[in-house]
Amino acid sequence: MIADTGNVKFTTRDVHVFYGAKEAIKGVDLDINNNEVTALIGPSGCGKSTYLRCLNRMNDTVDSARVTGTIELDGVDIYDRSVDVVQLRARVGMVFQKPNPFPKSIYENVAYGPRIHGLATKKSELDEVVETSLRKAGLWNEVNDRLDTQGTALSGGQQQRLCIARAIAVSPEVILMDEPCSALDPIATARVEELIDELRENYAIVIVTHSMQQAARVSQKTAFFHLGDLVEYGDTEDIFTNPREERTRDYITGRFG
Amino acid sequence: MSVTLLILIILGAVTAAYVAGLARVRAVSGGNARVLHSRPSYYGTYVALVVALAAFSVMAVWLIAQGPVIMGHITDLLPADVRNGDPSMRELALAQVVNVAQSGSAFGAEPYAVKLAATYNSMLASSRLYMTIAVLLAALVAFALAYRQVRPQARARNWVEAVVKALLIICSSIAVLTTVGIVLSMLFQTIHFFSLVPPENFFFGLVWDPRFAAAGSGGETGQFGLIPVLWGTVFITILAMMVSVPVGLMSAIYLAEYAGPRFRGIAKPILEILAGIPTVVYGFFALITVGPFLRDGGALIGLDIDARSALTAGLVMGIMIIPFVSSLSDDVINAVPQSLRDGSYGLGATKSETIRRVILPAALPGIVGSIILAVSRAVGETMIVVMAAGVAANLTANPFQAVTTVTVKIVSQLTGDQEFTSPQTLVAFALGMTLFVITLILNVYALHIVRKYREQYD
Repeated sequence: MIADTGNVKFTTRDVHVFYGAKEAIKGVDLDINNNEVTALIGPSGCGKSTYLRCLNRMNDTVDSARVTGTIELDGVDIYDRSVDVVQLRARVGMVFQKPNPFPKSIYENVAYGPRIHGLATKKSELDEVVETSLRKAGLWNEVNDRLDTQGTALSGGQQQRLCIARAIAVSPEVILMDEPCSALDPIATARVEELIDELRENYAIVIVTHSMQQAARVSQKTAFFHLGDLVEYGDTEDIFTNPREERTRDYITGRFG
Repeated sequence: MSVTLLILIILGAVTAAYVAGLARVRAVSGGNARVLHSRPSYYGTYVALVVALAAFSVMAVWLIAQGPVIMGHITDLLPADVRNGDPSMRELALAQVVNVAQSGSAFGAEPYAVKLAATYNSMLASSRLYMTIAVLLAALVAFALAYRQVRPQARARNWVEAVVKALLIICSSIAVLTTVGIVLSMLFQTIHFFSLVPPENFFFGLVWDPRFAAAGSGGETGQFGLIPVLWGTVFITILAMMVSVPVGLMSAIYLAEYAGPRFRGIAKPILEILAGIPTVVYGFFALITVGPFLRDGGALIGLDIDARSALTAGLVMGIMIIPFVSSLSDDVINAVPQSLRDGSYGLGATKSETIRRVILPAALPGIVGSIILAVSRAVGETMIVVMAAGVAANLTANPFQAVTTVTVKIVSQLTGDQEFTSPQTLVAFALGMTLFVITLILNVYALHIVRKYREQYD
């Protein structure tokens, strides 16, 4: 299940996650490559979101969650005591299922990350970071004349791109996306997918999705989860045209899930 | 028959009507609930409600009308010289009649009053009898009409729900009407007060001394300067807020963001107990413990603190208000969506950065709302001030001296031995009105902020 090794960003081995006594992930080995989009698919409750949230230790915020195994980012175990979760999350950004802009202005939303990490010392630098991030997120042309309006006043698709811009603004190396389009209409979805494809040039992207078509459209690698197990992992094209496992075939052809 | 007994009888009749209505609808539907418009219990309720409404409204009208009717009749029977004499004498004579009738003692009463008292009592008795008959008759007629209405197609549910809706409207208007009534009762007395004391003397006067006129003013009434008293309220409120806002807000943040569910489950109710302690008890605490402690502590470091001081009252009042701030703020902070926290954590923000930069700004309007509610509570507080800050209306910015507040002065002016129409007493209404307007403005403002807050996220 291990893909080519030259460009690996994340190496995860024997990852288990427990919520209290319940085992949500049962030993997952998976590598995530740079400059690729890795899609995590599978039916609801299969553990794909849980796995995603291990990669930037968002599970830390859930009291009952316990993670075992090794998850290495550029060869360093992110669950090691020496790793500070704040620095980790600055390197591994996250975009959530429901757009969650802060109830602040568009500018302040994007400037939030650079501010807390002290990435820009002068106002002009901050302006530049905000503009670059909004441009990369494909939102600049729509909002450049109203940066001081509330982020929550944007449409759903714009809000989600704002959240992507917010994540980009701290210059992460990896962007995790947890069903980023599930609350969006088809047009906004297409726009976000286009954006994901552009972002791939600079980042490693991991995306959880319920839409098989979306996984097929945007990703290079696909991992199929079922009941906490990683069933199959490989090139997206192979997974969708020629799956090795019975369960994968059943799922992608819509026989269950 | 006494009114209480009659009410019990009506209630019995209402129950019987319910049972009868239910039985009737079961009979007409032949046990098949499908053919009915509403479920069977609605038909029973409908019949019962019609009976209750008819009986109670006849009773209410009768009880309201019988007093004036009987008194009018008694007035006609008064001796001609009393009846046609001075109206206040006539009122007095009527009062004497009623008094004799109710007490049964003719001691010191006019002979005609004793005679009329007997008439009064017999009229009252027959009125009761006729009322009983009328009420029961109304109930019976209402029952007959409603009972005939019970048919499968009858829209019993809609009728019952209309009655329930009317009941809810009546209940909610009681609160509104009470507020209006309170305002009006204060308003007329306030206007009366301002006819005796010029408003500018009241609103801009710097001296509160209702007993004595200012030297050389030539006036006869005392000095009713609002400023020292209002300043006392403002000053103590500010002191109380300086205690309760930081402590309350920080405990709210701790409870909402840091405390585990078990600790929170125990600590929050305990904090709320503070709100349940009677303010008199806080008063003792201030008078017996905090005041002397501050005085002795101040003496040690060379500060001259009165045992009764604005500081004592402010401190204790601040403690009393902590739960208002903390409990409401805690709810508001909890209402901030988890997605905002996740978004902030996902960007690498620490817990305290998230709280300071995302959660508090998002919750700020709600927090301000809770603080304003706490302020209106502090403004209205009386007992703690009487016991801890004294009754002397000093215009001072020194927290170690005694001051007093608007509410304390309202109590002392109303409970004085002055006659009710004197400005010394009437000033209480002007003070009350002022306080009411201030707290009303604060509450409206708080409501406005809370409404704005709802639009903030989602």
